[in-house]
Amino acid sequence: MKRRAFLGLSGLALAAGAFGGWKLIDHGPQPLLLSARDDADGHHYAVGYRLDGSKAFATRVAERCHDVVPHPTLPLAVFVGRRPSRESYLVDTRDGRLLQTLASPADRHFYGHGVFHQDGEWFYSTENDTRDAGRGVLGVYRLQGERLQRVAENSTHGIGPHQLLWMPGGEELVVANGGIRTEADSRVMMNLDAMEPSLVLMRRDGTLISKEQLPQQMNSVRHLAVAADGTVVSGQQYEGDPQDAVPLLAIKRPGQPFQPFPLGEAQRMAMHQYTASLAIHDELRLLGLTAPRGNRFFIWDLDSAALLLDAPLPDCAGVGAVADGFVVTSGQGRCRLYDCRGEKIAVRPLELPAGLWDNHLRLA
Amino acid sequence: MIRSPLALVLLAMGLAACTPQDPQQRTSAALADGVLLPAYKAWHESSQQLAESSKAFCAGSQDLGAAQQAFLTDVASWAALQPLQVGPLAEGNRAWQVQFWPDKKNLVQRQVENLLKKKPQLSQADVEKASVVVQGLTAYEYILFDAGIDLSDATQKSRYCPLLTAIGEHQQRLSAEVLGQWQAEDGMTAQLKEFPNTRYAEAPEAVAELLRAQVNAIDGLKKKLGAALGRQSKGQPQPYQAEFWRSNASLASLAASLASAERLWLGANEDGVRSLLNDGQKELAGRIDQQYAVTRQQLATLQRPLGELLADETGRAELTAFYDNLNLVHRLQGGELAKVLGIQLGFNAHDGD
Repeated sequence: MKRRAFLGLSGLALAAGAFGGWKLIDHGPQPLLLSARDDADGHHYAVGYRLDGSKAFATRVAERCHDVVPHPTLPLAVFVGRRPSRESYLVDTRDGRLLQTLASPADRHFYGHGVFHQDGEWFYSTENDTRDAGRGVLGVYRLQGERLQRVAENSTHGIGPHQLLWMPGGEELVVANGGIRTEADSRVMMNLDAMEPSLVLMRRDGTLISKEQLPQQMNSVRHLAVAADGTVVSGQQYEGDPQDAVPLLAIKRPGQPFQPFPLGEAQRMAMHQYTASLAIHDELRLLGLTAPRGNRFFIWDLDSAALLLDAPLPDCAGVGAVADGFVVTSGQGRCRLYDCRGEKIAVRPLELPAGLWDNHLRLA
Repeated sequence: MIRSPLALVLLAMGLAACTPQDPQQRTSAALADGVLLPAYKAWHESSQQLAESSKAFCAGSQDLGAAQQAFLTDVASWAALQPLQVGPLAEGNRAWQVQFWPDKKNLVQRQVENLLKKKPQLSQADVEKASVVVQGLTAYEYILFDAGIDLSDATQKSRYCPLLTAIGEHQQRLSAEVLGQWQAEDGMTAQLKEFPNTRYAEAPEAVAELLRAQVNAIDGLKKKLGAALGRQSKGQPQPYQAEFWRSNASLASLAASLASAERLWLGANEDGVRSLLNDGQKELAGRIDQQYAVTRQQLATLQRPLGELLADETGRAELTAFYDNLNLVHRLQGGELAKVLGIQLGFNAHDGD
């Protein structure tokens, strides 16, 4: 069984390596929604569903996952372990087979996010060097057949890295260094009085391109979205006073410094100092954001920063762009599709199972 | 300027609308009509009376005792809304405009005094533009009850009265705005009765939100009592961290919130959250009933004001026993009840990353 899986995938990997017109992923007309999810008893799953509600797979995994990283060409995805997990899972997205439980080294743990390089051979993840708690590490893994092999690591040039994404071109990374030190097996924040959040641009060989900070030292830069033109938006989680007015969204337009996104006061306050997932719709130039503590989902015009939607959605979690607009999952209620093509944004509940969806989703 | 209301329409969806027999829809609708809407109406009425009282007191036609009573009545109706904070009141920073808690640094005193220093001729507009700290009941309480303010002194009274009446007016407007959103066509009451709507995709989402609001509120009561008991400060009692400590209304406020939480559980006509439990779950229902009763009765035996209870060991032991009972209500509702009803309480919000 194992051997057959191995052979099957090596074949695919080989074909992908050769490229040349192979259409390896055929999910039909419906995109596949990938996410971490729990059941009511607290068991953790790596799941894939079509947007029409049909289940592709739900594979039980030992640890709760966070983000999902689909392979650029193969029917594979890494479900990345949520901090302080030392496991991530390589899954066949056609049937949910668990191909590999990827372990971090003993003195590293995952932070829940990763990326595949566009050539499909390299996987990078943000990790914690627990010998120097919080020191940000970029783990470098090579895909060989059905397995990811850790081959090297670089610095993320900051503390407590969280999400990372590719800049257009797919060779430079943007990293949200959350700035918070935590130890192995712990989510306890050790340095609230000395946080160092930063937004870093770096090459995948580890070279630092730029490092920028927001003025508020307790404003943890956590999640990211990158537009096709290189605009980067970051979502923050503020660890200071609930009444402090701080930029919970920030933006770095091409060639410009990292700065607060012009956010309405009502929206900022509704977020309760906490943003979760971001997504950019490139064709419509829209920015979507979930704020689960405020139970609200927002959409802005990426260019004018005009607010287009401020809607209630209990415990909203992941957001992803689809042709029509945005798909949003929820930890508590039904998942929604926000159709943004018309003059008015229209909401439609999706026929997906309700609740228990974790913070991020990917559409493959 | 924010475009409001933002355009959001509901697409006709392939979902069958709930039938009236659907128990979740029945419960949500019954609670909307029988518990939530009446509580929001009561709050609006007491806020109107607060505004009238502030004017009468400042015009010299009402004495301080009557003005203080109008305040305490409004505090009680506000406290009753704590477990019912869904929809408009939970949004747009509105709750902060009614009560500022916790106030660890005595911001209320500082900001009231600073505002009056800066604006001796204070207008309604000044208060509408000001921080939430000076817009609500906590600032109102400071004026009416603080030991450092003597309202029998005409100079002091004329100094504080513009703010007092402006807060009364602000509370009246705010409560009218919120009640308006409850009563509007397609407003909050309607959204708890007919599904799907732009807020809830189906009735279980509404019931889940009601339970979540209730459980969060009970957790909030624990936090308020726990802060005063010094549970976050090495057991050192912190009487000035209690809510409404100046007016000695902390325990009365707690009692009003707890009674309201119990109403949500029972419903006005035995049609509350409890009615969703089937025969096999009656044992749990009985335990929750019992725990509400024990907690309510124990609170009733606390005869002295919170500040006094905190000052001696017997009082602190009584408060700790009450806290433990409150904690059991919280665990029964947020743990066992939520699980039995299949309701997720803040999967991401409480445990995000």
